[in-house]
Amino acid sequence: MRKFTINTKKSNLEPTKEQILRYKNFNELSQNHKKITKRPKKTLYQDPKMFLFLLLLGLIALLLFA
Amino acid sequence: MFYKKKNKTVYSESELIELSKSNHQYFGALYEKYFDTIFRFIFKRLGGDETVSGDLTQQTFMKAMVNIQKYEDRGFPFSSWLFRIAQNEVNLFFRSLKNNKTVDINENQLKSVLEDVDSSASMTIENQEKLIQCINSLEPEQMDLIELRFFQEMSFQEIAAIYDITEANAKMRIYRLLERIQKNWK
Repeated sequence: MRKFTINTKKSNLEPTKEQILRYKNFNELSQNHKKITKRPKKTLYQDPKMFLFLLLLGLIALLLFA
Repeated sequence: MFYKKKNKTVYSESELIELSKSNHQYFGALYEKYFDTIFRFIFKRLGGDETVSGDLTQQTFMKAMVNIQKYEDRGFPFSSWLFRIAQNEVNLFFRSLKNNKTVDINENQLKSVLEDVDSSASMTIENQEKLIQCINSLEPEQMDLIELRFFQEMSFQEIAAIYDITEANAKMRIYRLLERIQKNWK
């Protein structure tokens, strides 16, 4: 939530060129994008934790439907 | 803005958007072109919070990059799509806060609202505070519209593009809001 107040101290609310350049970084964005979108190297069942989880899920299903 | 390859091929914006869908490196040119505009937009919306503006701008471009496949050219400028994402990011940020965030606005920005609400009123401190109270009593979505029109100084066409509505509809929504402020003002 937000509330507006009158700006009495600063005369201008525009960012400076330096402020903008400080945050402008396409390489960082590109790397983060790769991290988000890249497929996992290991398949799900090759991950030990996931393997156990899938095994447990399979056992529960077996017990329920057997 | 154009993107130049080694062989000096020049791409138009629509070509860059299409190329970005298959290779995200082409998105760099769009990032270069619109970063400043989106940063300014978020910076103003946050009342000058530089660090959060930087984070939200990166987050905006990240979402745009991830969802560029879904982008459809409906005749609105590409920037309006980015503004829409930025608008959502800022609103999510405001919603995530436990306490109210105070956003600074200039006297000049208020002046334009006051002229539309009561042209005979002068910009005294009492009137400014009264007007701020009227605006703060609006719903967040209504505040967004007032902010876009008067504080971000966007045209009705630009607002319509952000909300994916007609220009006439954008005008009507803002005039109704001004009427509501006028009622509270009296």
